[in-house]
Amino acid sequence: MHRYTLNLMKPLLLVVALFSLFSCSNDDEIDNLSETFFVRHENADMPAYVHGNATEKIFLIVLNGGPGGFGLTYRTKTFIETIEEKYAVVYFDQRGSGVSQGKYLEKEVTVDLMAEDVLALAKVIKEKYGDDSKLVLMGHSWGGTLGTATLLKDQDEFMGWIDVDGAHDPKAMYLEYITNHAKIANEQIALGNSLDYWETVLQLTDSVSPSYDQDNFFDLNREAFTAEEQLVEDDFINEENWEDEIGVNYNVFMALWNSGQILKILTNNGLWEDISYTDRLSEITIPSLIITGKHDLIVPSKFAEEALANIGSEDKELLVFERSGHSPMASEKELFAEKILEFIDRIK
Amino acid sequence: MIKHLPLFLFLGCTHLQAQKEEQTKMPNSFLDRTEFKAGYFGNILWNNGINVGAEYLWKENSRIKERKKGNKTITHQFLLNGNLGATTNFFNQTNTGLFTNYGLTWRRTNHKGKQISVEFNPLGYYRSFLPETYEVNGDNVDKVFLAGRGYYSPSLSIGFGKQRKGKKLTGRYFNVNFSVRTDYNAGSLPVVSLEYGYRFNFKKKK
Repeated sequence: MHRYTLNLMKPLLLVVALFSLFSCSNDDEIDNLSETFFVRHENADMPAYVHGNATEKIFLIVLNGGPGGFGLTYRTKTFIETIEEKYAVVYFDQRGSGVSQGKYLEKEVTVDLMAEDVLALAKVIKEKYGDDSKLVLMGHSWGGTLGTATLLKDQDEFMGWIDVDGAHDPKAMYLEYITNHAKIANEQIALGNSLDYWETVLQLTDSVSPSYDQDNFFDLNREAFTAEEQLVEDDFINEENWEDEIGVNYNVFMALWNSGQILKILTNNGLWEDISYTDRLSEITIPSLIITGKHDLIVPSKFAEEALANIGSEDKELLVFERSGHSPMASEKELFAEKILEFIDRIK
Repeated sequence: MIKHLPLFLFLGCTHLQAQKEEQTKMPNSFLDRTEFKAGYFGNILWNNGINVGAEYLWKENSRIKERKKGNKTITHQFLLNGNLGATTNFFNQTNTGLFTNYGLTWRRTNHKGKQISVEFNPLGYYRSFLPETYEVNGDNVDKVFLAGRGYYSPSLSIGFGKQRKGKKLTGRYFNVNFSVRTDYNAGSLPVVSLEYGYRFNFKKKK
């Protein structure tokens, strides 16, 4: 009987041993960090993945797009081989995104609260790696909304701001979609590119409501992604190649479910109708690098120009990536990494 | 068609008459009525783990179908069951948890020992375990001991298996498990997992 039980237990013991083995494998050399920790703030537990070289105690915090994107999307081969070689990069699953978990009410989820989450992350980094740690904040797309909101709460925590195709004015995006979609469609028609497709884009812009309508907003948003694919097909911009390891890092079903939920919640809570930080951009005074893809249809480059004009910092620069749409870090990867490193090298 | 109806009814009645349903005489002792199970639990790609459990035979009915080639016995069982399991994503341990659930299983076993099961566990609990966690309250940052969260987590498993008469491992099973964790973030989280394992018992040998 005992022997029988022992035989049955063998496979279980093997699995337990494997659990222990994997849970102990953590490379935490300061010049080659590879750590995951959670930030618990206001009833949410949010993972931060820290990778790279922290010998100078400089941490680049990356705020993903979406809302509902995954932090580790940005950990591309290029990031690993360039930026992480020199500095530590903190990829962060925001509240409700990726594998973040918690227990809170829909009505509590605001951009304000999520900005406080980012500040909580900054505090944890300083607690864990030392008060002398220097932080640079980078936000892509929706991350540009969140980053701006964070800096407007407390920019003293950060030595620099990198706004990549960021949406500091979600409220203005609806009308800008209509204007910009029509403009790009007319430009492409004039060039004789994919006439049938761009005609459908013009039909869409003609058919949507002239004032904010949620369904129309998402129709235009989806069309922006399709239009960028069309620009790739017509060799107008480079194809995005993320080279990430999302399939390894995330239970994709779970992460996509969370993604849909947080997008719905923020939309219901007025993200695209009520939120605008344009009038407060002048309060941002830390060195700022603004990056936009010249042919960004998802957050049109008008917003980057507006950021440059309004951010209060004396040290600010706008870089336009000629062969990119919404995600230059995936379409002009080497140039992107080079510019990020140049910026951090300069302000550190 | 209508003229053939009496014939169909006659054949149907004959067929029904050829089935006998009887309440099976069940063993008395707890161990004789209980089977244990252990197996893989996860979704292969991301989360992997183990699940162990027990099934206590509550009710059993056998129906004997009389056929030309011999009788066929089909058994329906209702079992009270409980499970305890753990899964993790080995890559970065951001999705590690222990779960336990309790409920009722219906199982049909045909004369070849092939089984279909539906397992409904309305009483379920999932406890996540997070790696290194820091809690931020205002300007205070504190490390959290044994960080994680508890969720109500009912589940439903549907699957098939095979009885292995006379073997030490008395049966094997493959289930698709649907569970929900709630309240999770601002709502609920649906989770789909696969189960593959073996059953065994400590019945007294006769």
